[in-house]
Amino acid sequence: MKLGRKLWQIFGPLIVAAVAILIIMLLPANSRPVSKDTLYKASNSLSANVLKGEELKNQAFSSGNYVPFIGSSELSRIDPFHPSVLAEKYDRGYTPFLLGAPGTQSLTHFFSVQGMSQSLKHKKAVVIISPQWFVRRGARPNMFGFYYSPLQATSFLEGAKDNETDRYAAYRLLQMPSGKSDTVVHSALLQVAAGLPLTDFQKFYLKNIKGNILKNQDNFFSRFSIRDRNNAITSGEERLPSDYNFTVLDDLATQLGKGETKSNDFEIKDSFYKRQLKPVEAKLQNSQTHFNYEFGPEYSDFQLLLSEFNRLHMKVLFVIPPVNQRWADYTGLPNTTLQNFDRKITYQLRSQGFNNIRDMSADGAQDYFMQDTIHLGWRGWLDMDQSVRPFLKHTTVKSIHYKMDDHFYTKSWQQAPASSVPDLIANSEANQ
Amino acid sequence: MINLQPYENPQYFFYLLIGLLPIIIGMLYQKRFRWYESLFSLVFLFLIFDGSKISQGIAIIGYTVYETLVTWWYCHYRTKENSKNKTGVFILAVFLAILPLIFVKFTPLFVDGKASIFGFLGISYLTFKVAGMIMEMRDGSIKEFHLVKFLQFLLFFPTISSGPIDRYRRFIKDYDRVPTQEQYLGLLQKGVHNIMLGFFYKFVLGYFFGTVLLPNIEHLAMLSRHNFLGLSWPLVGVMYTYSMYLFFDFAGYSLFAVGISYMMGIETPINFNKPFLSWNIKEFWNRWHMTLSFWFRDYIYMRFVFFMMKHKIIKSRITLANLGYLVLFLIMGIWHGETWFYIVYGIFHASVMILTDAWIRYKRKHKGWFPSNKFTHVMSVVLTFHVVCFSFLIFSGFLNQLWFGIR
Repeated sequence: MKLGRKLWQIFGPLIVAAVAILIIMLLPANSRPVSKDTLYKASNSLSANVLKGEELKNQAFSSGNYVPFIGSSELSRIDPFHPSVLAEKYDRGYTPFLLGAPGTQSLTHFFSVQGMSQSLKHKKAVVIISPQWFVRRGARPNMFGFYYSPLQATSFLEGAKDNETDRYAAYRLLQMPSGKSDTVVHSALLQVAAGLPLTDFQKFYLKNIKGNILKNQDNFFSRFSIRDRNNAITSGEERLPSDYNFTVLDDLATQLGKGETKSNDFEIKDSFYKRQLKPVEAKLQNSQTHFNYEFGPEYSDFQLLLSEFNRLHMKVLFVIPPVNQRWADYTGLPNTTLQNFDRKITYQLRSQGFNNIRDMSADGAQDYFMQDTIHLGWRGWLDMDQSVRPFLKHTTVKSIHYKMDDHFYTKSWQQAPASSVPDLIANSEANQ
Repeated sequence: MINLQPYENPQYFFYLLIGLLPIIIGMLYQKRFRWYESLFSLVFLFLIFDGSKISQGIAIIGYTVYETLVTWWYCHYRTKENSKNKTGVFILAVFLAILPLIFVKFTPLFVDGKASIFGFLGISYLTFKVAGMIMEMRDGSIKEFHLVKFLQFLLFFPTISSGPIDRYRRFIKDYDRVPTQEQYLGLLQKGVHNIMLGFFYKFVLGYFFGTVLLPNIEHLAMLSRHNFLGLSWPLVGVMYTYSMYLFFDFAGYSLFAVGISYMMGIETPINFNKPFLSWNIKEFWNRWHMTLSFWFRDYIYMRFVFFMMKHKIIKSRITLANLGYLVLFLIMGIWHGETWFYIVYGIFHASVMILTDAWIRYKRKHKGWFPSNKFTHVMSVVLTFHVVCFSFLIFSGFLNQLWFGIR
């Protein structure tokens, strides 16, 4: 009797705690509706936990009003002409849901989009493709790890099939430290990469244990700690006239740009210039002569994202932003760097039937087009809106067909020089 | 194939508890089911090294056979009648014992950064145990080679991946005896306490610092990498966050290993004793990763100093001690890996040790010059903490990433 009591003293609290945790985490994951305000806040928060979760995004896209705007650091440049501000001010029928932050690239977006597949079927989306993603070694493992979502990885594994897309996605995840963080996930990835089906245990663990726990965590927690950028949007709206008139807005953009770039000759926003460039300006002169965006795994990672758009029958507007020409001249970035990238990515898009492309790569010399070195600002955002506005008149699509080509997953495509690729850029303007 | 890495997640403890139940019940009735203990250890060892880790599994089997032969041979040499106890043979035995570790540790340096195929999780810690045994055989403190006990000690599974490093004679004393019910209940209680505290350390605090906070701060620090030497406030944040992560992750892990050992009736020594309350660096090394630093102290530092004194190579005790520190910490640095930051970490700690000794001598010479009270004590704790955190920033390798973009 005494032994029993002593044992209970030792193990009792442990058992009670374990049972309580098991009950909470293994409860079937039910989605709990999030308030409209929270969804709106999440749509322009750019917070990592929003991107990594599924619940908030799914609720937003199921509601019908939200359109994914997929990109990276430029999305955080919220000035009066930012897509979120324009949509809100001029009561467009859509609200951009910003997906991306500094460091997110194609692979992160692939896992994020496939995680919310049902709610995006037959929808439209906008993708801003940064040329800077396409450096030779592709996504940095630590950056990828920063936005890696175990939840999206389990959803991927649950639905993985023996096709080139899923094998390549598994192979890429295995190259990242993130892919090794859970042993079951790791071994499941090895199997998918090898084209083998998952075992019953793996399926059970991924769906009912790990997946369920992660879904519960997502449901419980991801609605908290969302960064609030509503003030930036509201203050942007306040500076805009009540009617949408391109010429008037373009003048305003020029005027605002001029006012905020007085400190330098590059037409770079003063605050950015003072903080990021001025201290190292001399060092950066002619520092980019060797930059190249023509080769590397990012091209195949981008193909993953395209195949996801195909699977979900989505219609997508692709925006190719320029770089600030004045800054490029100073740093010695050759024009061919961007042109080669443009030619290759345009071929990858067009040859498979992705024909909605807004190619701004030649517009980098226009005044107040870029907010800083590589990010769209004032007139650049407004210019992009000339494509976004007509494209999003309707936010759904009935049927759309692409001709996907697995060649884009190969090393030979990753290594193909732009000069060997048919030039389809000329068609772009005609189809716009 | 199910593969389970030791203590990687809370589920692991659930499986462990199931395996431990017969041992716990037996011990409560003063019985050690030795065959079951061996089976339990084998099963969990198997689960570490199966599936995708099978090459490591083969490596550990080969390693075990090899080390068994080396140890058996040296013990045979030392225990036969009129053993000459030659220094040359002893050095050969130690060299043979650590040869696999040297080989595995230096492979990445010569083969393009690739890990050796002979490596496996925990090879360092097993090698420390064997090398320790051989030195004690040389001294005559270990007088027999018992195959089963040797294997039980070497492959004791709770501590296999990263220690704490036990000593053979201490381990066998526990292994040979069965605690009374009262003693065992005490061990159980301590074991559960250690494991729960370990949960809090590793899965709450370690997770918070390492997984939640650290990537964000590293991200910020990387954004400022164009500054002079990459210096920025976020870099200072990386330094403290990484230090906290390192401590809570490793201390948590060590608590698990100690806790599980207790449940098996083995009182594995503790590895951490409030290291951040140390008032100087010497005290720090008495409280941080204790079994490793004691191992280095007893088997490298002391042996080195004795050897030098015996052969009168260096007369000055101060020079000798300083040289000893340098040898100890250089070896420790190289053992962590052949990168500049591990070696700089070693040299840094050796330098701080040497400076600390000099300071203590200076204070002793000038008694009464310096006050010693609560305030000075707190000051030295704070100072030591910052010096240690700085050394961990070097150790983390983050500077390598920050300065050279290498990860």
